[in-house]
Amino acid sequence: MMRILLLRIDWATLISALALIGLGILMLQTTSSPEAQGLESRAVQQAALAGIGLVLAISMSQIDYRFLKGLAIPAYIGGLIALCLVLFVGDASLGARRWFDLGLIVIQPSEIMKIAAIVFFAKHLSERRESIRSLRSVLTSLVIALFPVGLILLEPDLGTAVVFLCIWLAMIFVAGARAWHLVLPIGVGLAAFPFGWFFAQDYMRQRFVMFFNPSSDPLGAGYNVLQAQISIGSGGYFGQGVGQGTQSNLEFLRVKDTDFIFAMLGEQLGLVGTLGLVLFFALLITQAIFIALRARDTFGQLLAIGVAAMLFTQSFVNIGMNVGLMPVTGITLPLVSFGKNSLLVTLVGIGFLLSVHTHRTSAPFRQQSVQLVSGALTSVRSRIDPRR
Amino acid sequence: MANFQQHNKRGSIGYSHPEARPGAGGPPADGSRRALILGGAALIGNAALIGRLWQLQVVESAKYKEQALRNRARTESIHPVRGLIYDRNGEPLVRNIPIYSAWLTASKLSAERETPVLSNVATLTGESLQELQFKLDQAKQSPTKAIQIADAIPRESALAIEERQHDLPGISIRTAIRRSYKHGNTFGHIIGFTGPIPAEEVSAYQERGVLFDEHIGRSGLEKTLQSELRGRDGAKRLEIDAFGRTFQEVSSQTPVVGSNAVLTLAVNEQNAVREILARHLALRKQGAGVVVVLRPDTGEVVALVSLPDYDNNVFAKGVSNKDYELLASDPRRPLINHAISGLYPPGSTYKLVAASGALESRIILPESNIKCDGQLILKDGWAFNDWLPQGHGLVNLERAIAESCNIYFYNVSGGNPYTNLTGLGNRRLSEFERGFGFGTATRIDLPSEAAGVVPTSGWKNDAKLGPWVTGDTYHSAIGQGLVQVTPLQIANMYAAIGNGGRLMRPKIVDKLLNPEGQIVKTFQPELLGKLPVSHSHLRLLQRGLLQAVNGSSGTGTRAQSSYAVVAGKTGTAEYSGQRDPEGRLPSHAWFSGYAPASKPEYAFAVLVRDGGEGSFAAAPIARDIVDYLMTGQMPPLPQDRPDFVSPDRRL
Repeated sequence: MMRILLLRIDWATLISALALIGLGILMLQTTSSPEAQGLESRAVQQAALAGIGLVLAISMSQIDYRFLKGLAIPAYIGGLIALCLVLFVGDASLGARRWFDLGLIVIQPSEIMKIAAIVFFAKHLSERRESIRSLRSVLTSLVIALFPVGLILLEPDLGTAVVFLCIWLAMIFVAGARAWHLVLPIGVGLAAFPFGWFFAQDYMRQRFVMFFNPSSDPLGAGYNVLQAQISIGSGGYFGQGVGQGTQSNLEFLRVKDTDFIFAMLGEQLGLVGTLGLVLFFALLITQAIFIALRARDTFGQLLAIGVAAMLFTQSFVNIGMNVGLMPVTGITLPLVSFGKNSLLVTLVGIGFLLSVHTHRTSAPFRQQSVQLVSGALTSVRSRIDPRR
Repeated sequence: MANFQQHNKRGSIGYSHPEARPGAGGPPADGSRRALILGGAALIGNAALIGRLWQLQVVESAKYKEQALRNRARTESIHPVRGLIYDRNGEPLVRNIPIYSAWLTASKLSAERETPVLSNVATLTGESLQELQFKLDQAKQSPTKAIQIADAIPRESALAIEERQHDLPGISIRTAIRRSYKHGNTFGHIIGFTGPIPAEEVSAYQERGVLFDEHIGRSGLEKTLQSELRGRDGAKRLEIDAFGRTFQEVSSQTPVVGSNAVLTLAVNEQNAVREILARHLALRKQGAGVVVVLRPDTGEVVALVSLPDYDNNVFAKGVSNKDYELLASDPRRPLINHAISGLYPPGSTYKLVAASGALESRIILPESNIKCDGQLILKDGWAFNDWLPQGHGLVNLERAIAESCNIYFYNVSGGNPYTNLTGLGNRRLSEFERGFGFGTATRIDLPSEAAGVVPTSGWKNDAKLGPWVTGDTYHSAIGQGLVQVTPLQIANMYAAIGNGGRLMRPKIVDKLLNPEGQIVKTFQPELLGKLPVSHSHLRLLQRGLLQAVNGSSGTGTRAQSSYAVVAGKTGTAEYSGQRDPEGRLPSHAWFSGYAPASKPEYAFAVLVRDGGEGSFAAAPIARDIVDYLMTGQMPPLPQDRPDFVSPDRRL
């Protein structure tokens, strides 16, 4: 049984995840100081954590994801409590309280909450298949979703809040809500924008303005965006080479281990590297969508959609920021950026995907593959045979 | 077909059919369709990213490569230290003083740190916070360029700022050199001063590699020797990181150090000559005057004094408005070096030009006598007077020079309508004037030298002063009217008469040395030309000058020195201005000559502006100077001399 389940693992998902992690470690390795020994090196830390996360993800593929239903509500409530706590006892840095520093490990509740929220929304929405087409259900679900969003905005962390909203939107869309019921909250949100602007933190406004004109303040927030674009652009087709590149080596490119790791990759590996990275993300997200399509139940389907939405929103917003298509939000590139919480959480999400895939039907694997092949052959034959 | 349907129902490729999945929890078909829509949207999003990447890394890559290069490459100039200036005996006249200034690079100062950093800088430098804020706003215009926010700050403050570099991002200390002049007033006009580049010349200087904030020579030798003293910048090509720290040096070019200049003047002589002139001028109200002393053989400048003068240190430090107003508003114009830039009628010191012309052109013979009645009235009624109303009687050339007879020179220059003497005429006279070096600058190594005016009929016409008349020729012959000369030109003319006819280029810089003391360049004596006078005629002129000082009826007897035989000529050059109670025009007092007469070592010109009679105001100054130069001892005060005549006592 075990052997069969392992064979049923979605290798495309696993391999694209591994490739992205590998690219991240390659970049981190170039920025680690040569004196860093063992775990002092960020590359080694990231690799170690990726190992743990991959074991976790593969293990999860062997467990029926439906056990998560039982954890949905406690995890969601636990996550909300943690998000409250971090506002009061969290460690502040750069004007934001986003994490607990427990000495050995740092816990970032908003990261963990992503996974908890995906599980919770999947359970919640899959249990309301009948009523989801009513506006009332959509609004109820929105209110529940707004709890973590509000707490995260208070940290403040605009980017992660936006990611949460996108995950919710994607999941409720697939769950079957009427499209115009979803357009309504978006419309209200946009209408509320001027008020939001009034209450927004200065840094948020600045970032917003910066997005539209990065050169207006080349040394404030716009500096990083400008330098990121210079880095990526100067990479050309093949890049300056791994570990090369004046933009990253001479510190013109800032926060290059996390937010701007994509720009560093762009400078060092060129179009070949950036294109490869974007294609691996596209493959990963496409696989997640396919997994959702083949899920055995709505819970599994929504779980996969949630993970797909998380991966896409984060990668798109982060790369978009690096290339100047999106505002600066401080969202890291999943699997690639240095960040223990983010890496583990994303790999757990991959674990969900693998589990949904492994448990996609009750049919034994061999039978299913025979059906798959013969079905394909039949369809081919029927296309060849004009008398069909 | 049925078989296919069956496969389809149970197989995974039939996932779009909700009934395909066993169990009640199978996802709805609509959900699958919507999942595909999301997948499609994600692919479109990724396609957009790829499009943008193509634009950045292929289409615009060259531009970003260029920007990345500009990010990291910096050329840093290495400035040579400005050369010093020494007197003839090796005494330094200039010192280089290091000063510290604070600079701000806006790009390195983040917005949230502005306030604490500025207030720290304000306390350390003593600049007002408001001023610093203003400078910061200026600096933000070009954020990566450093601008100066405090000049000449104390050394302690500079060190404190350097020590606290980490607390003061964007603030840097630069050292610069400012000049300090040891003998401020004495050499002020000669050495001049350095200062900021005038706004309109910034680009011209930058083309020559001078920094926009560098102090350059603005006047005097600092200006004429600017490139020699400054040397040439070296350059370091650096690769820097985002914090401006040097990552590595790519290449470097060593600077060419500035030369040190050695002057022909000596501090003690210049000082003494200035002091002598100052003593004589102190006896007058608003005394102003010029002394030029040259070495006749080489043209070397021994002393060059223009009083009143100014302390060039005031300018080197950055002159205050008040100080400048005070200097600029003085009617005697102390900021101008009148020895080379002042233009005056030369008076009788000029008569030797007409004398030479008349002799060389055979208008007269040396021994020919001309009768002087004290007045010459032209046929049109214009009367031209001698300074001696009763006249000098019959005078030959030697006496005419010694007694400074005007009538004689009227006759030989413009002719006499009552005798058959034709005179030299304007054209030939002007040729001789030019031959004596007038009308052109002597090309001394100092800025703003005036050329003077040798009037001709053409010139007078161009200047719209009416047609040339015989009276104009008369006036030119005696150094009045339209003639304009500098004291240096007069001194140079007498040096040439004393040295046997060689008109030398006045030389003020003797040589340039490198910092090790080796000679880089020696300035050789340079001949401007020969006086247009034959040897024997020159001897006649010399005898006249000797008689003028030493003859019983000479006008320059007050120039007689106990230590050397002086030869020279007085001049009293009237100029249009307010007449005195006796109806006389104001006049500049001149005395010019050389000593010792037999073998001249010094030639000089003394001018007392608005000084009255040359014989009373200027000749005694020349005597004191000769006394000093021959003995090295300061002469007694002018009022302690037995022949002292107070300037108040008008004759």
